[in-house]
Amino acid sequence: MAELLGTFEQSVLLSIFGLGPEAYGRAILSRVQETLERDVAAGAVYATLERLEARGLVSSRLAAGTAVRGGRARRYYALAAEGQRALGDTRRALTAMWNNVHLPALGRS
Amino acid sequence: MSGAAHRPPRWAEALLERLLPEHARETVVGDLREEYIESTLPRRGGLGARLWYIRQVVSFVPWFAKEGSPMGKFLLLVSLLSLACACWLAFMETVLRHPGYVARIGTALVIASICVTTILVRMLHAGIRCERWLWLGAAVLIGLGGLAFFRNARAAHFEGFVFMISLVLVVQGVLMLTTLGRARSLDPMTPLH
Repeated sequence: MAELLGTFEQSVLLSIFGLGPEAYGRAILSRVQETLERDVAAGAVYATLERLEARGLVSSRLAAGTAVRGGRARRYYALAAEGQRALGDTRRALTAMWNNVHLPALGRS
Repeated sequence: MSGAAHRPPRWAEALLERLLPEHARETVVGDLREEYIESTLPRRGGLGARLWYIRQVVSFVPWFAKEGSPMGKFLLLVSLLSLACACWLAFMETVLRHPGYVARIGTALVIASICVTTILVRMLHAGIRCERWLWLGAAVLIGLGGLAFFRNARAAHFEGFVFMISLVLVVQGVLMLTTLGRARSLDPMTPLH
């Protein structure tokens, strides 16, 4: 089994998967913020994307930019087969870890 | 929404563009501008959106220190310049003995800046290219620090101030050596040049 993914990495990969062909930097940033329900710094998302790409978990391609971006290109990301495998492994490991664990219900103080 | 008032702060955008690695420059700056114009500005207003943008630029600092960023060389330059200032002040201290509070505060600030830049240089890791002058610089740091320490120890009046400076020089030199060593171990094929 490959090294398990961290929570943030899972969130970024699942955002890419959920966005499908529309997964570019800004859209991923927004989706991650929605998922985690908190303000996320762009630097953290882009650093994670670069790391995931270096590990072969995602692939990317450049596409033409729009006027609002000043014509700057967009980089679209796609989940690679290795990325899907890593997500599956992580999910299985977490499920196994939590299997038969029953924590007492605690209210938030 | 096409006026300058509806765009991110020009200086912050230029800074981000200058400091990001080349492969990410265009796409990241474009993404942030798009987010700023279409989402952040309508939601947070002018001041809030500008603060948001600056916060995003700051969030890239760890990335700036990585390989391919011009920031790496800049940090090393700052480090070496602050070192030069510290050496000069150390000699001044030795000569004048009682430079007064202003000089002492100034020197303390220089020492603090050395510590900060040393930490930043440590963040560079493999981003440093193993150039001979860096190794030489580190060796000179340790040599100067050691010399200042022994001269101070043998002097009639032991100066804690000189001791501090010499210690900082040696620590920075050692940190530079370990950082360079780490860079080499990560990329053993990188030739010295």
